[in-house]
Amino acid sequence: MTAERSVPTAPPPELLFRYRLNVVAAVRELWHARALVRTLAERDFRVRYKQTVLGVAWAVLTPLALMAVFTIFFQRVAKVDTGGAPYVLFAYLGLLPWTFFSTSVSQGGQTLVINSQLLNKVYCPREVFPLSSMVVGGIDTSIAVVFLGVLFVVTAYPPKPTTFWVPVMVVVNIAFTFGVTLVISAVLVFFRDLRHVLPIILQLGLFATPVAYGMEVVPENLQVLYCAANPLASVIDGYRRTVLLGLPPDWHLFLPGAVMALAWLVFGYILFKRLEPGFADYA
Amino acid sequence: MRKGEIHATGVWKRFRADRHRLLLRDHLERLRRQLRGRADGRGWRWALRDINLDASPGESVALVGSNGSGKTTMLRLLARVMYPYAGSVEVAGRVGALIEVRAGIHPDLTGGENVYLYGSLLGLRRQEVARRFDDIVSFAELEGAIDRQVKFYSSGMQMRLGFAIAAFMEPDVLLVDEVLAVGDASFQQKCLDRMRWVLGQGTTVVFVSHDLQAVESICQRALWLREGLVESDGPVREVLGAYRRTIEQAAELSAPVLGFLRVVKCEVRGADGGPPRTQEPLEVRLVIESPEQRLANVHLGVSEGPATPIFVFGHETLLPAGEAELRCTVPHLPLPRGRYYLWLVVFEHSGDLLPWHPVSQFNVLGPDLDPTPLGVVRLSPIELSPTWEVEERS
Repeated sequence: MTAERSVPTAPPPELLFRYRLNVVAAVRELWHARALVRTLAERDFRVRYKQTVLGVAWAVLTPLALMAVFTIFFQRVAKVDTGGAPYVLFAYLGLLPWTFFSTSVSQGGQTLVINSQLLNKVYCPREVFPLSSMVVGGIDTSIAVVFLGVLFVVTAYPPKPTTFWVPVMVVVNIAFTFGVTLVISAVLVFFRDLRHVLPIILQLGLFATPVAYGMEVVPENLQVLYCAANPLASVIDGYRRTVLLGLPPDWHLFLPGAVMALAWLVFGYILFKRLEPGFADYA
Repeated sequence: MRKGEIHATGVWKRFRADRHRLLLRDHLERLRRQLRGRADGRGWRWALRDINLDASPGESVALVGSNGSGKTTMLRLLARVMYPYAGSVEVAGRVGALIEVRAGIHPDLTGGENVYLYGSLLGLRRQEVARRFDDIVSFAELEGAIDRQVKFYSSGMQMRLGFAIAAFMEPDVLLVDEVLAVGDASFQQKCLDRMRWVLGQGTTVVFVSHDLQAVESICQRALWLREGLVESDGPVREVLGAYRRTIEQAAELSAPVLGFLRVVKCEVRGADGGPPRTQEPLEVRLVIESPEQRLANVHLGVSEGPATPIFVFGHETLLPAGEAELRCTVPHLPLPRGRYYLWLVVFEHSGDLLPWHPVSQFNVLGPDLDPTPLGVVRLSPIELSPTWEVEERS
């Protein structure tokens, strides 16, 4: 029965498996997996706060603590031009998008490695993992937004009517965050060193982004470049102008940021899908 | 393709020999090796080579083979968890997979939350999971523990939950890895029953197990993998027969038998001195050397698998000092055509004189039996009525 067979040492090259990326089909598949995203996000959310004493309060406490630090240092030491708004609001409004970004990237970046158990055993479109991490970050941020209302009351500085522009900025904010999260999570599977570098990058990012300070710190002629390099800057500037100052977004700064954020999303998604076949082998 | 169909053609899969080394220095080391022009293929290991596997709805296929032969990798490819290096894998419909014990189980969540998590991984909506929830819990016998975190479950409980979830989500294809070994005997039986039931519903089952009896009772076809290659593919009896032969040969080589007595010679033959035939006499001639005279019990057994004899028969006899020949005749051999093992033990009231071990292999000639219906492995009871003779040899 087991006569000697000659088995080639490598498959014929025309049979090599090629991964074809069909964006429409992939997005449709992701849409069908929305229940899964919800379950995973729910799971992460529960797991995150399950064994903590303060529970969900941490969602508010993290940006709040940073805000207190900024208020004490920046307001006293270096005078920041807030355009007349209370610095507390100015800083908190910058911290919300930043905290959303940094928790999504740091949690979502490691999600494929953390979930390797699942990854190795069940099929699903892999982007649900970083996506659900981002959803958790979004829930945290929403809770923190509630506290923003309290700050408005305490400082007796109500939001301006131009606040209706906020959804536009939120879209750009999410697009950029998801794009970066996809890139980090995919690359981290193959380069584990990134895990240790990531906190440092995020720490630097906090200072490279106008969270504690305003756009004025950057020289006028470099502002467009700055916003293109860091779309979060244009988003945060937009939030502050519309909510606190009653101005429309600064379009010549906001649009380059928005375009770059979209570019990050497209690039991140394609990179993620291209690397996807290797995830289960390495995670 | 109909739901439940599997078409895997010319599948190749390779892994890095050191795939868990992904730090920067490991990447640099690999890069340096490449720049120096050393062969790239060195760091790769083939897990599967040119595998073909087709199955249609309601069919059951077993994957057998020793550890590391590529069975689990093949299941992962079928579950679409991994991608092949070459070839194509097509699986139509919903796939329920139980690969390793904790398939899809998250330790920090309760059992109930895991049911919903896994359900949505399989693409079910919440209401659909809720409808099956009670069935899953009662099948897994976890009524009292379903609200407890899974990390506080025993491994058997985790397996029960994993299997119940995979088997009750009405998959079109059910992949079951070697996991039943964790459960107790009654639960194993329940799992096998459930697998037979889903087979009857038209689900395709791919079953990996080292429990060959279980494989035989579930599967019609078997694929024997050896170092990533298909060694043989065909009806389950034939493939398992060939597989058993090689594992037993390997086991025999590695186990020297030590005892008070020594087997000098062992011969199995039929009436005419040639190989025995079905329903005809079988004669066993055994020459045993004993240092002193003993009253001993001699038992012979016949097996197809490693440790589960088909039948055992014994005789109490006086073994003289020196060599003695035992002749045992079974008038009507109740064995179908195939290859079998003869086992021997000799003991007295105080303990073993010779431990239970295989002494010989023999072929039985005869017509093929009618194929037994699925789930029937052995025919019993068996009427042997052997006769024994002992003769002193000087």
